Amino acid sequence: MTIIRTDPAGIPHCPHIDKERELIHVDCASHIYPDGSVGIHDMCFYVQKNEIVALCGPNGSGKSTLIEHLNGLLIPSEGNIAVNGRSITTGEHTNLWREVGIVFQRSDDQLFAPTVLDDVMFGPINMGMSREGARSAALEALEAVGAADLVSKLPNYLSGGQKRLVSIAGILAMKPLIIALDEPTSDLDPVHSGMIENLIFDLKQRFGISVVIATHDLDLAARIADRICLVRHGSVFAEGTPAEIFYDTVLLKETGLKPPQIVQVYLAYCQRLGIHTDYHPLTIESLMEFIDRK
Amino acid sequence: MSATNLSDHIPDLDLITYYAETRRSCFTVLSPWTKFSLLLLIIYVVTISRNIILLAGLYCIILVAYAGAHLPVRNLFSWYTLPVLFVLSLVGIMAWNEPGIAIITFTIAGFPFMLTDNGILLVITLLLKALIVVTYSLFFLMTTRYEHFSAMIYRIFPSPIDQIFLMAYRFLFLTLAMTGSILKAVRSRGGGLIHSIHMQGRLFAEIFALVFIRSFERSERVQKAMIARGYSGSYGTAVEVPALHMYEYVFLGICSALVITLALNDAGFGRILAL
Repeated sequence: MTIIRTDPAGIPHCPHIDKERELIHVDCASHIYPDGSVGIHDMCFYVQKNEIVALCGPNGSGKSTLIEHLNGLLIPSEGNIAVNGRSITTGEHTNLWREVGIVFQRSDDQLFAPTVLDDVMFGPINMGMSREGARSAALEALEAVGAADLVSKLPNYLSGGQKRLVSIAGILAMKPLIIALDEPTSDLDPVHSGMIENLIFDLKQRFGISVVIATHDLDLAARIADRICLVRHGSVFAEGTPAEIFYDTVLLKETGLKPPQIVQVYLAYCQRLGIHTDYHPLTIESLMEFIDRK
Repeated sequence: MSATNLSDHIPDLDLITYYAETRRSCFTVLSPWTKFSLLLLIIYVVTISRNIILLAGLYCIILVAYAGAHLPVRNLFSWYTLPVLFVLSLVGIMAWNEPGIAIITFTIAGFPFMLTDNGILLVITLLLKALIVVTYSLFFLMTTRYEHFSAMIYRIFPSPIDQIFLMAYRFLFLTLAMTGSILKAVRSRGGGLIHSIHMQGRLFAEIFALVFIRSFERSERVQKAMIARGYSGSYGTAVEVPALHMYEYVFLGICSALVITLALNDAGFGRILAL
């Protein structure tokens, strides 16, 4: 069921969640940048073990700011953020990068080392691993993301998709509990977008890592997320399963988003046939199944 | 000229790296330490020697090695423009009124000017010295894989100088690419760096200001990405620089002996030893 995150009085609140499974808890956090602009305000958000959460919202809604809070890069001006039980607002945020890895939107800013191997080894070495240990962790991570053949390449000569894979490997090599990806498929061709999508699935299923993605690619979110959080004006406006959120066209319009393509096609198809159904396909396969049944 | 290169006369970093990464020859199997040691010896030789025949011979050997490594000779001659202009701008003044046999003489406002054989020799000597170092440096860069080059930087320089070098090299590409894309946008609308710089000087000043500002912003984003992975002040390289083979030790030994002999001769010790 969709949870609208403001009560009738307009006061934000976090839903009650299972403390055992909770990894991240953002409790009414606000962040104001030095220039006075508001990054997030009264943000309530949580991430549980082994789930993929998609933060969906238009540009400038506060998705990236929230992600930077999860890793301790930014500290909230107000409110509280706890990661794995540790509050980052009370000075316990040192080494938070060990638990939450961030894959930034621009891979060129993330890949700074001379070679791919050096870059992927960077995190493990900072974690205190020996050079040999870091090397094997890096090779393992590159293998896991399907970029083992890029090990001795220079970052300058990688394609956008390869850079994204290497950026993810750089985080995976640190074996974090949570990986947050900022616009993971932006500027990628469909083949590489598909690879990243499969990889995000793998992070959850093979490695048991919880994933937070900030995206305005709602098709991607519809296919891979367990839970959708709609972000608007710096706070989570509504949340629910992909089917609940993406079939609520009024809610999406209020957030400034359009439904995913598959939803648009399905709704147009139902309208043409003059039918109304509770079936909510989010993938091509489920849509085809519906059409076949008709 | 590649899209990201400002001019044919400025060494193209992308092309240099392309050759270093892809072109294979007998020189690429040499240890980078050997090539680096040779660079030091060459710098020493051009510093102490004024023997034009020796310098011309050394230049020819390096040029043959450069061509033998399948490196682009035509580009090399284009890249000579800047060092040649640099040398001529300095020596162009020093070459006049050198003692020797006068070749050209004239007077301006009562001041006599005389170009002598020694003046011309001075120009040629200094040009040869510059071209030797430039050619060998390019040869070194274009026959050494970047991973080995960066590993050498990491081992030679103390921290944080090594970090500055490593990151500067990486981000030079990105800055050039950024400049290239802005220039492409300018060219696509009829502008051009060289032919319209007088007309659109202000525009190009703005472009370079923009590159600077964007580079600054990028550095902030890079720092953020590094801190997000636990950066605490240093990072290293994973690759080991290939060690010298026995024949390389022998080769370097011979070269060193030759340079020492040359140095002793130049210092006049050669005559003493001959006695």
